[in-house]
Amino acid sequence: MTISLHSDEEHFADYPVIIHNISPRFSPHAYLTMAYIGFGGAYNEDGMDIEATGPKVTVREATQDHVDFVLQSTSLSLANSLRRAMLAEVPTVCIDQVQILSNTSVLPDEFIAHRLGLIPLDSRGCEPDMLFQRECDCGGDCERCAVILELACKCEREGTMMVFARDLIIVDARPNEYVGQPVIRDPKGNGPLIAKLRRGQELRVRCTAIKGIAKEHAKWAPTAAVGFEYDPNNKLRHVDYWYEENAKDEWPVDPRNANWESEDTAADAAFDPDATPGAFFFDVEGVGTLDPDQIVQEGIKVLQNKLALVIQGLGGGSDNDNNNTNTNATNGAVGAGGATPFGAGGVQDQAYGGAGDHTSYGGYPAGGATAYGGGGATSYGTPYGAPGQNGYGY
Amino acid sequence: MTNKPEPFEQFLLAEGEKKVEMTLDTRMPNTCIFKFNKEDHTLGNLLRARLLQDRRVTFAAYKVPHPLFPTFELRVQTDGSLSPKEALLQACRDSVSDLNTLSREFTKEYELRKMVNEGRENGI
Repeated sequence: MTISLHSDEEHFADYPVIIHNISPRFSPHAYLTMAYIGFGGAYNEDGMDIEATGPKVTVREATQDHVDFVLQSTSLSLANSLRRAMLAEVPTVCIDQVQILSNTSVLPDEFIAHRLGLIPLDSRGCEPDMLFQRECDCGGDCERCAVILELACKCEREGTMMVFARDLIIVDARPNEYVGQPVIRDPKGNGPLIAKLRRGQELRVRCTAIKGIAKEHAKWAPTAAVGFEYDPNNKLRHVDYWYEENAKDEWPVDPRNANWESEDTAADAAFDPDATPGAFFFDVEGVGTLDPDQIVQEGIKVLQNKLALVIQGLGGGSDNDNNNTNTNATNGAVGAGGATPFGAGGVQDQAYGGAGDHTSYGGYPAGGATAYGGGGATSYGTPYGAPGQNGYGY
Repeated sequence: MTNKPEPFEQFLLAEGEKKVEMTLDTRMPNTCIFKFNKEDHTLGNLLRARLLQDRRVTFAAYKVPHPLFPTFELRVQTDGSLSPKEALLQACRDSVSDLNTLSREFTKEYELRKMVNEGRENGI
């Protein structure tokens, strides 16, 4: 099965309903003898089924805009999360606001603004050199969070004048030496065509390019497509192919992928209901704004940041547990100062759900709990708060 | 004038909104429901799969209650030898270190492939 989706279809294509799974209860032995083993299969003392060595990567092809690699010894969900992160959440730079100073061309202002937004701009190093505009405290467009591009063209001769992306000129300082430059790949060095002008027509615009992600608008997508395939011979029966006479003859198979795995996954192997997918074939194609390896690396980073936020949100300290106190302090500050009603919400949840089972909130860091209690109880804690727990009780 | 939600509401936490909210599920022992705000299947499925790899976790599943709201609920039950919250934290930490390995492996392999390509171009 091959999926190659663009970000907008994403929300509808993936898992429309609840996915409920019960923990697999394979014996370690069964795990080791499974057909194609996604995980190393060993348990450590913690009781975790850990991979023996972690994910494995094989890069099969790498060109300027494209990388083809195989991921092994990892789970389908990690591979799919990486695919989704690369499609929708890797930050790039694009024109976001356009000030039309003069437009006497035949195209309406909105039309031109939209076209400008879709022009790929070099985004190398935008993470971490550039800030998101909404996170920058400059309040406008400063050199840390925005790149200003200007375009001024007027046709003064007979005939048609073409306005290309190369006519966009960067003004002012910018976060680094790459960010914001239009990506130009054609032999003539023109870049994408923006508009055509006739004699006497003029186009003058001032554009602000900012950092963003494709979840907000597809123009920020770093990829043109991400090819993703696993189990090319459909040994797992995740797909039920439609066919007229014989599915094997009527559906295409990529021989490179189909012959990648061991004999267990060969087309004539027997069906193993306990098997898990073992190899994931990625084909990442960029649009030129980021190098393909950067897209993958940034995708990984996006996932790590998400996980780090969860760890922080649960008060689990930092990744390496070094500055535990520090993190708790931050959490407390957010709970108390950030917004009282929500801080109280946390307390409610605990007090409500945990009635009669006080041990269960033992997990909350002490620092965090006081901060929530102190800040929150006054506003919302009342209805639920048990007496003696900062609650007032009507 | 429309009621179209702002696109950034899909991923930016609202003022005062928390990333994760934990609720105890009193119907079952050792069970918690974690509500994740401004997250989707990318994180939900990742954590669910990771939790299921832990033998001490007896149940882990997630749902997106409504496709228009960027939240998901993760329900975790353990066998009692650790709390659901600890299990989730462990799953997060393990995933982070897994991704570290992945990043390192990818860098190594990519550089290798690039060297091979350059070698070919130079006729070696």
